[in-house]
Amino acid sequence: MNYNILSYAIYAVITIYIIVWVGKMFHRNGRIFILSLFKNQTEMADTTNNLLLVAYYLFNIGYTIVQLSYWKHIPDIASTLSSVGQKSGILILMLAALHYNNMFIIYLLSKNKMKSIHL
Amino acid sequence: MQNLTVVAYVIYLPIAITLTYYVAYMLFKNSIVYMNDIFQSRADVAQATNNLFRIGFYLLNIGFALYILRMNLYNANAQELIEQLSYKVGGFSIYLGIMLFLNMYLFFRGKRVAKQKRLAQPIIAQG
Repeated sequence: MNYNILSYAIYAVITIYIIVWVGKMFHRNGRIFILSLFKNQTEMADTTNNLLLVAYYLFNIGYTIVQLSYWKHIPDIASTLSSVGQKSGILILMLAALHYNNMFIIYLLSKNKMKSIHL
Repeated sequence: MQNLTVVAYVIYLPIAITLTYYVAYMLFKNSIVYMNDIFQSRADVAQATNNLFRIGFYLLNIGFALYILRMNLYNANAQELIEQLSYKVGGFSIYLGIMLFLNMYLFFRGKRVAKQKRLAQPIIAQG
């Protein structure tokens, strides 16, 4: 068991847990916004929500696994902690960027909808 | 001199994560009031928006805390440990303060825009 395998294990556990938890949160809380975009058609909104969730899982867990192949050699335990921390940090920052981007898009779409109703 | 890097990581990570949790808890316990004011009759949308902002806040700040984790304390003594730790923890606290103010600015702006829209609606309905 060398340090690389240890860091792969820690990194995979941390990031997959965060991806699954964040995915569940968005699935639950974002449903209302998708519902309002589809004008209260619950079936369409639920289908879209589930599709988005699956696509999100595929993309992010795939990215996590691909990162394992680009890992440089880890000589000691300090480098284990620092490289696991940095790579997890990059993934979480990417999740944050995607999240704020999605909220901005929903905001723009709802502004468009308001304009087309009131004019 | 031993490698003090792991000691520094073990001190920095709990402090950073606890600070993030505390700031997020305070901010989003109180921001639900702003949300209920912006989305006046739709309490579920207010709660959902609050949750989404809270998750975004956590993601952004924990991601940043982990991204800046790397410290080099090979052949360092206790003084250098304290100095580098203070640099990281202090910098992260300042960043958290800036994020807090940024979120408050967004909430106030949302409240102002929502009030403007509400005041403009009766005029459109009449005219």
